[in-house]
Amino acid sequence: MELLRINDLHATIGDKEILKGINLTINAGEVHAIMGPNGAGKSTLSAVLTGNPAYTVTQGEVYLKGKNLLEMSPEQRAREGVFLSFQYPVEIPGVSMVNFMRTAVNEKRKYEGKPALSATEFLRLMREKKALVEMADKLNNRSVNEGFSGGEKKKNEIFQMAMLEPCLSILDETDSGLDIDALRVVANGVNKLKTADNASIVITHYQRLLDYIVPDFVHVLADGKIVKSGDKTLALELEKSGYAFLEQ
Amino acid sequence: MTQTLNIPQGETVERVLIDEPELDWHIVQQAHSVLRLHLISFTSAKHTIWIEQQGEGCQTEIYGLTFVRNNETCTLNTRVHHNIGGGTSKQVVKFILGGEAKGEFFGELKIAPDAQQTAAQQTNRNILLSDKATMRTRPQLEIYADDVKASHGATTGQLDESALFYMQQRGLSPEQGRQMLLQAFMADIIDAITDEAQRTALANAIETLVVLNKEQGAKTAPL
Repeated sequence: MELLRINDLHATIGDKEILKGINLTINAGEVHAIMGPNGAGKSTLSAVLTGNPAYTVTQGEVYLKGKNLLEMSPEQRAREGVFLSFQYPVEIPGVSMVNFMRTAVNEKRKYEGKPALSATEFLRLMREKKALVEMADKLNNRSVNEGFSGGEKKKNEIFQMAMLEPCLSILDETDSGLDIDALRVVANGVNKLKTADNASIVITHYQRLLDYIVPDFVHVLADGKIVKSGDKTLALELEKSGYAFLEQ
Repeated sequence: MTQTLNIPQGETVERVLIDEPELDWHIVQQAHSVLRLHLISFTSAKHTIWIEQQGEGCQTEIYGLTFVRNNETCTLNTRVHHNIGGGTSKQVVKFILGGEAKGEFFGELKIAPDAQQTAAQQTNRNILLSDKATMRTRPQLEIYADDVKASHGATTGQLDESALFYMQQRGLSPEQGRQMLLQAFMADIIDAITDEAQRTALANAIETLVVLNKEQGAKTAPL
């Protein structure tokens, strides 16, 4: 089943064109890795798909399950099941994780026509999902990401992903700043959340993450376009020879 | 006309004042007295508070919160004078201004030559919700003693756009995000009230203003 279709997507920030014609189709059950040098537009792609107002789409179309994604507000995209694990999760002092997540989960349920979760149901769900990323209990009572270590922040992103059960997850450089243990925990969490009905886009610089989250497809993004696609062996090739082939 | 109040030695006075249009107070604290003043304004106000620590070891706390969204003018003018040593003072002043509201905070902090071992802090943080709202802030520190700790800081800005986008990415509407950020911004002012009933009353008043305003069709500008 086709989940996401990107046709000839162009996007700018200010006067600068970053995405210069992206084409990509993702089916349910697939994991797509997007690799590429700095400045290729990897993070811009995730920002544009989630509706970040800093970027302007100048051309092209994006469909999520046949619906025009670009016409939707950021929150509507989220409620439709688009989730971004941020490269730099934002600290929000004074807003508790519990309150934040309860609002997020119940907004999504409302959108789907389901009743809000009771306090008991919600806390049970939190406990269950926290175990998935081996997250400490104390994080519940803290403000969103405030004072979290790099590893805790990334675990917290995957925890939120587990809570919201998205159909399309975008993991933006989830491996950056993680030690090998945290990387394993985060990747385990992502793998356990994989089903036949959802899909992931894994944006990464290094092959390392792809040892743990094995992609079905690997795409190389360079200068705003996908210049090469292949299976997981492409990532290994890139690891060995770098992006030098782009110069040729 | 200035009203003078005296806090006798060793006594504690805590006052929560909500929506007082005008205050002009001169408060004199005797040794080891404690003053906690909470000045909360949801409408135009002009407050002038002059505090003198006359005896040793006094404790002064001023919490100011102004939250207005039309064309109100709100002025808070504090003068905290440490005349003698061993005292502490803490001022936390926050303004949230929307519409065409105007806010002013003038904070004078004076530590006299005899007021050694004083610890004084003044914080002023302001959020502008609209382009037309304006804030003037003028901290003034006069420190004449050398063995003291004094700090002050003032910031004026907007709600954190990156936090708002993060919240939207999780499915919250921009309005829900702003509500949460504003409530978080005001939380320490609410928490500073000792009396539980008064604290709850203020929290509820703020909740009504932040969350329910729109649903009740009030004339106030949206967040």
